[in-house]
Amino acid sequence: MTTTLPTPPAPAPGPAPVAAPSSTRRPRGDIGRRDRNWIVSLVVLAVAEIAYFSFSVSGFFGGGSGLLALTEQFVDIGTIALGLAVVVLAGEIDLSVGTMSSFSGIFMAVLWQSDHLDIWIAVVVALVASSLIGLANGLIITLFKVDSLLVTLAMQFILGSVATALSGASPPYGFPTSFVRIAGTGTIGPVPYQLIVFAVLAVGIGLFVSRSRTGRAVTLIGYNRPAARWSGIRVDRTVVGAFMVSAFMAAVSGILVSGYYNAARDDLGDSLLLPAVTIVVLGGVDIFGGRGRIGGVIVATFVLGYLTEGLLLRGDSSLTATMVTGILLIACLILKFQIDRRNGDDPFAVLRARLARVGRSHGRADL
Amino acid sequence: MSTTVLEPRAGRTRDVLSSHVVRLLRMREIQLLVAIGIVVAVTTAAHPTFVAPGNISFMLADAAATAILAMGQTVVVLAKGIDLSVAPILGIAAVLVAFPAQDLNLPIVVGLAIVLGVGLVLGAANGVLVSIARIPPIIATLATLSVYGGLQFILAKGEEISNIPNSYAALGNDDIVSGVPWVLLIVVALAGAVTFFLRHTNTGRSIYAIGNDAAAAHRSGIPVQRVTFIAYTLCGVLAGIGGLIYLCHVGSVDSTTGTADNINLTSIAATLIGGTALTGGRGGVAGSVLGAIFLSVALTAMVFALIPAIWEPAGVGALMLLAMLFDRRSAVRSPSRTRRPRRAP
Repeated sequence: MTTTLPTPPAPAPGPAPVAAPSSTRRPRGDIGRRDRNWIVSLVVLAVAEIAYFSFSVSGFFGGGSGLLALTEQFVDIGTIALGLAVVVLAGEIDLSVGTMSSFSGIFMAVLWQSDHLDIWIAVVVALVASSLIGLANGLIITLFKVDSLLVTLAMQFILGSVATALSGASPPYGFPTSFVRIAGTGTIGPVPYQLIVFAVLAVGIGLFVSRSRTGRAVTLIGYNRPAARWSGIRVDRTVVGAFMVSAFMAAVSGILVSGYYNAARDDLGDSLLLPAVTIVVLGGVDIFGGRGRIGGVIVATFVLGYLTEGLLLRGDSSLTATMVTGILLIACLILKFQIDRRNGDDPFAVLRARLARVGRSHGRADL
Repeated sequence: MSTTVLEPRAGRTRDVLSSHVVRLLRMREIQLLVAIGIVVAVTTAAHPTFVAPGNISFMLADAAATAILAMGQTVVVLAKGIDLSVAPILGIAAVLVAFPAQDLNLPIVVGLAIVLGVGLVLGAANGVLVSIARIPPIIATLATLSVYGGLQFILAKGEEISNIPNSYAALGNDDIVSGVPWVLLIVVALAGAVTFFLRHTNTGRSIYAIGNDAAAAHRSGIPVQRVTFIAYTLCGVLAGIGGLIYLCHVGSVDSTTGTADNINLTSIAATLIGGTALTGGRGGVAGSVLGAIFLSVALTAMVFALIPAIWEPAGVGALMLLAMLFDRRSAVRSPSRTRRPRRAP
């Protein structure tokens, strides 16, 4: 599921051309291979932490089924991260996914309880409604040419209020058994339904990003927006689509959360957003877009999920777990940037490329 | 309110006077004052107690912590960055002062020294990550948000500290004269100091330059790394001071203070409503302070209009969207930014 675009042509090897290329150091190894190695390292990290917690925390391994059951705790965040990754690949960001998730769960529950819709119809309506909000996000961003960070930040506030208002004093709970089994805590053998849902979505998004025409366009837009436009890609339309995908995935996650707790929750906004962004970045997706693989996001989901659950099972507080997450993120990023730099992505070239790209607004103060 | 009369006239005539008026009306600070005036006028018409000195003082004091955080946020945003970790910096500073204040009756001056130190260290850590380790600011500060949040939880030991000495509460809530709280004086003084720093010192001017074009700033000899580092450190220090003001005003603090109050996002909202561009290099702290006051006034007006408190975040969000559409340059992703002459300093 590689989504990395080819690197700009490296300076020709052999007898040095006199017209000196801007970079004197020749890039060693292509970005694609480095990204593959990154994912392999993540897999090793995941295995190591699973092994560590299995031996040191009782109830973590649970004969293998414990490990599988734990996935129910974090595949919802992984689901959000999958959708968010698409937006980030396009060089934008969506901060509204956390409260979008709360909103869809609440909306579904209210439709089911107050309007007596069949629960599955309510699910479909909630998914469609959330996708439409994603459409609104995308349209505001592309039509008014405002920064996605701002629009989705505002949307996050608004959806949070709407979710709280919809849920009222006592959020709906006690969904039909069939729903709770499939969207919530049911299993096939030892495998939770939620994990299967996540797997299907992960493969779907992975194939979309790496194999479909639109998915490749998303990555190209993030890599070089003018080039994408000049090669005939309908940039705005594709970006709007990316926001719809992200909203849809957040909505799915909200429904999984509702199923898991057997109750609608309106208080999950921030607690879902931050880990989801962490997963995307840890998974090797460039926060400026145009580079990253869905495979990395999937592996990062498990790295972060098992780390959090292991710490929680060990008796640490959730905030301690968050803190460790933050440290892990910083450490991984410093490592990753060091690797990139050592491989000849000289900061000037990176900076020039970034400044050349349109749509850099949440850019870093470089150099 | 007189401006509602002025606007159409300014659009028609072209004499010097009205062109001055137009220019004034284009300034975000003036727009915000007008907006605040309109909100106050409308709400007062329905509820005369809205302009009671007690309520005015409350609204201003309530905006103080947000305003101070927004100042720090502004400095960072001007340098084309963002700081998502101001909320836990505020929280940690407040917690570290609250414990000795409660147990030892710590003087406020010592408390101020503590928050300055806390802000300095935590802000400098952000600065190192962004300027030296070169992690994108949104990610670096997202990570420190988690780290500092956990640290705050550990430091607060899960307790709520609410026995704050009266001297603190007096600073946070008392008025100089009826309707003008002491904290407003602090906010104005800080805003003046930061404005002076931004406009009249080499480092401050460099922050604008970096926000406009980091590569050009580098080529013209500005030490980009060092200035970026200073920007984040200053933001941390201001967030620390914000923590002290928050503690004085609210009177209690616990392990999720700041983060749970959404103060991160509110500070960004105030900055943006204040006209500072997320693309860097344009804006200033005066607008951010007015933005914070505007938010406070508008949210209080919502309370007067009997809109339930749960709609407060939606109010902030809607105001942000409005501010964006009102002045699109503050948010527009413009590839030709360098061609347009800058208006701000």
